[in-house]
Amino acid sequence: MKKSFFVLIGILIFFLAACGTENEGTNDNENQGSAENSDDARVIEHEMGSTKIKGQPENIVALEFSYVDALASLGISPVGIADDDDENRIIAPIKEKIGDYTSVGTRKQPSLEVISSLQPDLIIADLQRHKDIYDQLSDIAPTIVLSSLSADYEEILSSFETVSEAVGKKEEGQEILKEHKKRMEELRAQVPEDETRTVMPAVVTADAVYAHNFESYTGSLLESIGLKNAIQDGDDRYNKINLEQVVQFNPDVMFLMESGEQTIIDDWEDKPLWQEVNANQNDALYSVDRNMWSRFRGLISSEKILESAINHLYNQ
Amino acid sequence: MNKDGIHQQKKDIGMYRIFLTYFVGLILLFFSFLFSLSVGAYQIDFVTVLASLFSNQETKEVLIIQDVRLPRAIIGILIGASLAIAGALMQGITRNPLASPQIFGVNAGASLVLVIIVILFPIFSQTTMVYFAFLGAAIGGLTVYALASPGGMNPVKLALAGITMHLFLTSIIEGLIIFHEESTEDVLFWLAGAIDGTDWGHVETILPWLIAGMILALLIAKPLTLLSLGDDVAKGLGQKIGWIRIASAMLVILLAGASVAVAGPIGFVGLIIPHIARKLVGVDYIHVIPCSALLGAVLLVSADVLSRFISFPSESPVGIVTALIGGPYFLYLARKGGK
Repeated sequence: MKKSFFVLIGILIFFLAACGTENEGTNDNENQGSAENSDDARVIEHEMGSTKIKGQPENIVALEFSYVDALASLGISPVGIADDDDENRIIAPIKEKIGDYTSVGTRKQPSLEVISSLQPDLIIADLQRHKDIYDQLSDIAPTIVLSSLSADYEEILSSFETVSEAVGKKEEGQEILKEHKKRMEELRAQVPEDETRTVMPAVVTADAVYAHNFESYTGSLLESIGLKNAIQDGDDRYNKINLEQVVQFNPDVMFLMESGEQTIIDDWEDKPLWQEVNANQNDALYSVDRNMWSRFRGLISSEKILESAINHLYNQ
Repeated sequence: MNKDGIHQQKKDIGMYRIFLTYFVGLILLFFSFLFSLSVGAYQIDFVTVLASLFSNQETKEVLIIQDVRLPRAIIGILIGASLAIAGALMQGITRNPLASPQIFGVNAGASLVLVIIVILFPIFSQTTMVYFAFLGAAIGGLTVYALASPGGMNPVKLALAGITMHLFLTSIIEGLIIFHEESTEDVLFWLAGAIDGTDWGHVETILPWLIAGMILALLIAKPLTLLSLGDDVAKGLGQKIGWIRIASAMLVILLAGASVAVAGPIGFVGLIIPHIARKLVGVDYIHVIPCSALLGAVLLVSADVLSRFISFPSESPVGIVTALIGGPYFLYLARKGGK
């Protein structure tokens, strides 16, 4: 009798605690809502529905690098970034623009505690990585979910527009987009009309080559200025391939994003088969920064990628 | 007189069946070997394949076959055979149909040690890594044995102990991967069991170990057969069962460890091939062992060919295919109450 009584009390206490937290949550939101009487509210459509945002968010948490790029273009410094616990992943041109921030952990598993401790008024998350924690993020702050990890170049541009709308800088965003497109035209002009060489951007590790095909972000970006990708079909944007497949695709140029000190390309140096690859014969193997070329996926970084590619291809 | 005649007849049919199995097995092996050399992103027809095997020219086809596909096919044969033999040995000494390097934590143990070394101390050469694989295989196997034996080892206890070990080791491996993101892509692929990207260096590394292991396995076949009749019977016939068990266990560590060192933990080969072998050639290990080797080689090489189609032209881990084939067969065995 006594035992079950205490068990019952225990369960009741748990119930009250849980209910209490929920109520607190809704109360907070309501208070926030009534405090902001501004009529500057807009509804942002995103990958997981629509979110209402009021005013101009000032404390923004970005959970993918492409959003950091977007915010930096708009002159906004995010208060929190999911930087994979490594501030060196933020590329220099963007680091200069945003200055200091608080790391909220890895993009794969950002720390909800740190995020909420920053008291953000806007969170920007990635569809593929964060769709499962969307509800928890929404409890902390208005959250918009866009496609970053699986996006190609065009999608990155439309994500930028959404971000600019969300932070209340829609017109400024349009201006910046115009500037960007102008810059892209300039860069495109630097690629000769008769450029027929195929390129292969790839992450190279100790064991394998992960080639980005024509629909991947980097691939589609290069294609947009006339640099054809060596892989023109296939369902996967990222292909793990061996020497055999590199020989088959036979790129004329390879942009190697090196992951680690020793990569498989070093192992291949002595192999006669590696000599058959055009890129090797033409000495067109260029080491590039993985953070810039693959992780950052944004306006600023895409301009930098193309500048870098053009530099390697035509100025060396 | 009649009885002897029938007995002789049965024996003849038995031998006939065994030789037929070897014959068909070798043909299957030959064809899967041929497919392994010809199928891929760069498709090469059979005639060119055969011509290229001994050619001195340096055309793309010849180079691809000699430098890329041939070592890969040979590794497939060696590792397929070794894992199958390891499984047969384990099922023999434990008299347990579930015994295999995968269930016994041997694969998981070797993988754990290798992942730790690759991520935290990536300075060792291929040849040294094999020793680490042996160490891990031994730790994994012994732990499961220790967990499962008190009170008599039955299939259920073995499966539980093995799965516990496997999950425990997997969680440690996952933890390591999370904190060392740069190595994640490679390690995850390898952990599913993969022989793409292997070259002559890998062959050189494990060939001596595996050949030695296979020869020793044949030598231990006779004692193993007697052991499988029961401890008392074997003891009565003068066998030192303790030594037989220890020697077999060491062979398992040798064969499975070396295989994992190069290709990661490939599952199901060691589990299901011995069952098929026993069905085809009977319970005498002098035949079960070579038959398992043959069928294991056929399975792994064929699985490797199939794995090239999963996400063509990218590579996929061969472990996926062996799991796809082995999983359902394992269920079928379980329902039949396997032997």
